[in-house]
Amino acid sequence: MTQRSFGQHVEVVVVYQSLLGLYGDRGNATVLMNRLSSRGYNPALTMVEPGDRLPDTGDIYLLGGGEDAAQVSAVHALRADGGLHRAVDRGKAVFAVCAGYQIIGNSFMTSDTGQVIEGLGLLDVTTTRGPERAVGEVLSRWNDHHGEQAWITGFENHSGYTRLGTCAQPLATTDVGVGNCADGTEGAVAGTVIGTYLHGPVLARNPAVADHVLELGLGARLSPLIRPEVDELRRQRCAAARERSWSRRRGALLARKGLTSWARSFLAKPPLNPPTQISQTAQRRRPSFPP
Amino acid sequence: MSPNQFVGPAGQARLAAAVWAGRGAARASRIAGRGSGGSIQGQVMLALDPGALTKLLTNKRVALVSGTNGKTTTTHFLAAAVRAHLGLETGRLVHNADGANLCRGIASALSEHRGADTAVLETDERVVGQVIAAGQPEVLVLLNLSRDQLDRHHEIAGLARSWRDALRMAGPHGPIVVANTSEPLIVWVAQQARQVVWVDAATNWAQDSIWCPNCGSSLSSGHPDGSIGFGGGWHCAGCGLAQPRGHYVVANGQIMDRQGNAWEPGLSVPGDFNVSNAACALAAAELLGVPPLTALEAMRRVSAPAGRFATTRIGRTSVRLLLAKNPAGWAETLPLAQTATVVLAVDSAAADGRDVSWLWDVDFEQLAGRLVITAGARAQDLAVRLSHAQVQHLCVPALADALAGLVGPVDVIATYTPFQKLRKLGNV
Repeated sequence: MTQRSFGQHVEVVVVYQSLLGLYGDRGNATVLMNRLSSRGYNPALTMVEPGDRLPDTGDIYLLGGGEDAAQVSAVHALRADGGLHRAVDRGKAVFAVCAGYQIIGNSFMTSDTGQVIEGLGLLDVTTTRGPERAVGEVLSRWNDHHGEQAWITGFENHSGYTRLGTCAQPLATTDVGVGNCADGTEGAVAGTVIGTYLHGPVLARNPAVADHVLELGLGARLSPLIRPEVDELRRQRCAAARERSWSRRRGALLARKGLTSWARSFLAKPPLNPPTQISQTAQRRRPSFPP
Repeated sequence: MSPNQFVGPAGQARLAAAVWAGRGAARASRIAGRGSGGSIQGQVMLALDPGALTKLLTNKRVALVSGTNGKTTTTHFLAAAVRAHLGLETGRLVHNADGANLCRGIASALSEHRGADTAVLETDERVVGQVIAAGQPEVLVLLNLSRDQLDRHHEIAGLARSWRDALRMAGPHGPIVVANTSEPLIVWVAQQARQVVWVDAATNWAQDSIWCPNCGSSLSSGHPDGSIGFGGGWHCAGCGLAQPRGHYVVANGQIMDRQGNAWEPGLSVPGDFNVSNAACALAAAELLGVPPLTALEAMRRVSAPAGRFATTRIGRTSVRLLLAKNPAGWAETLPLAQTATVVLAVDSAAADGRDVSWLWDVDFEQLAGRLVITAGARAQDLAVRLSHAQVQHLCVPALADALAGLVGPVDVIATYTPFQKLRKLGNV
């Protein structure tokens, strides 16, 4: 079934923009609203702040990224409210980014004091402090999806590392970037709940994911939209992520090479990695362009 | 070694060698055509003599200016005021006028003006603590603090904490802080200063002042529209942190000084935010002994600090160059762009911040009805953003091409990297 009824009312809820709106993730709401309007729906945007009750009429609930203190305030307010649990029980979609992703998990750790904070438990994921902050372009492959639209591009900036429990599936498989915890996975999915580390905002760069979130909230299939401008942006960002990954690997190889020659001349020890082998590795790792 | 004390002959010799080597590196860099060499000069100098910054700042009156936005312009205001006060002895002042504001840029500027006894230094947010520790500055101007380049700053609160720690460690030897009371984060930092001159600068970026930096409660405002940071007496119900009364106050476009005189700013540079910057510079100038009238007259003559607000020709097009680097900066600068066609240039090099998600925190919707040309390495990201804002646009990534063929004066707003390229193209 496509497009159930022209002019159908759809409510997009932005949860705590003042606390979880640090990285432009409000753009996800803008994108959803415009993609709904373009298909003849009648979307309404509801901004909810701590102290206001989350509406029980929403179809899609969005959470973004924020700093430690804000994240802790947000999780306390959301637990007291209970609105997100009610939304999930109604079969509505929750899409959470970065700090929002950590909030809807089982627990997370504050980055400064390492205090463990209980999450909302909507996703079976647990976040602890990672060895180093993950910052940079990410390119991942959306699990169970195919074709060009299955590439997910975004920007990660997080110090927490997230591990998935048995009740959550990874959203995507990373090609470039750290993702959940450098284990090759990015984001998590359980039913109509999706979490991801990707900013960008992620739904502006990945229209197929945006439509998937809409379909989860609406319980209906949507017709595709043609947006060449977004296709071009996707092409550029995929290429940039691969280029960045390549130059980083090259940098690491050069550093190793430098260390090797230093070690050889000063310590008269055998090289850690013979140069010939390095260049072969470099050849093998030369990236191919995204399909 | 603490500053303002005698540096021994060995220390002086090491510094001299480091300065000499730094100059050599700068010359080599210029010959190789890789810029002015100021940065490499400082880098070489600090590598050869890690104590160079302390030695160079010894026996100087030092004023630092920091904050997310307005550093360069405010530093130019303050330097102009001090220069006017010095009269013919302008050689006594050193100022990192080109905006090279990390330790190496500061060291490089200082080493080129060894005879100076007063330093007015723009200081990057990340090195405020280091420079306070190295140089015992007399005055520290803190303008504002908001989301900016989060890929390397990570957290705004972290920067604020580092400033607080630096002031606490400096204790009674710390600077007098000139602090903008409109910003709760700045007020929280200034609590650690031995003395504060409060400036109610009436700045209005509120998105990073939602909760109390001290206790985490949400802040409330006395302003009728509920906005925080509008000189409306923001306060925290949790811990009692509240907007202090300003010694200097910006209201109705005028600056009220601590004697109660109201000054018409009459600045050459546009924008209410520059009146706020001027108020902070005025307060700092008075601390350095410059009378307000002298200071203000000099500040009025500042027209294009490091190319900002400069009007020039690029190719056959007359352009005005505006710099904006983050949501607060864009919120201030976008309303200044009044031409029918506007060029917006965005990049994501290290100096711009590698994540351009902030584009979605900027109210580009206000440009509806005008034609925007998007330029720079991230022109496509901006194009998609403008589509969602229903703003008509063309995407022309190369800067010179984006400007070519445009008739009449055009306002150009750019992030840092394209801004520097535009300065080169326009010789400003």
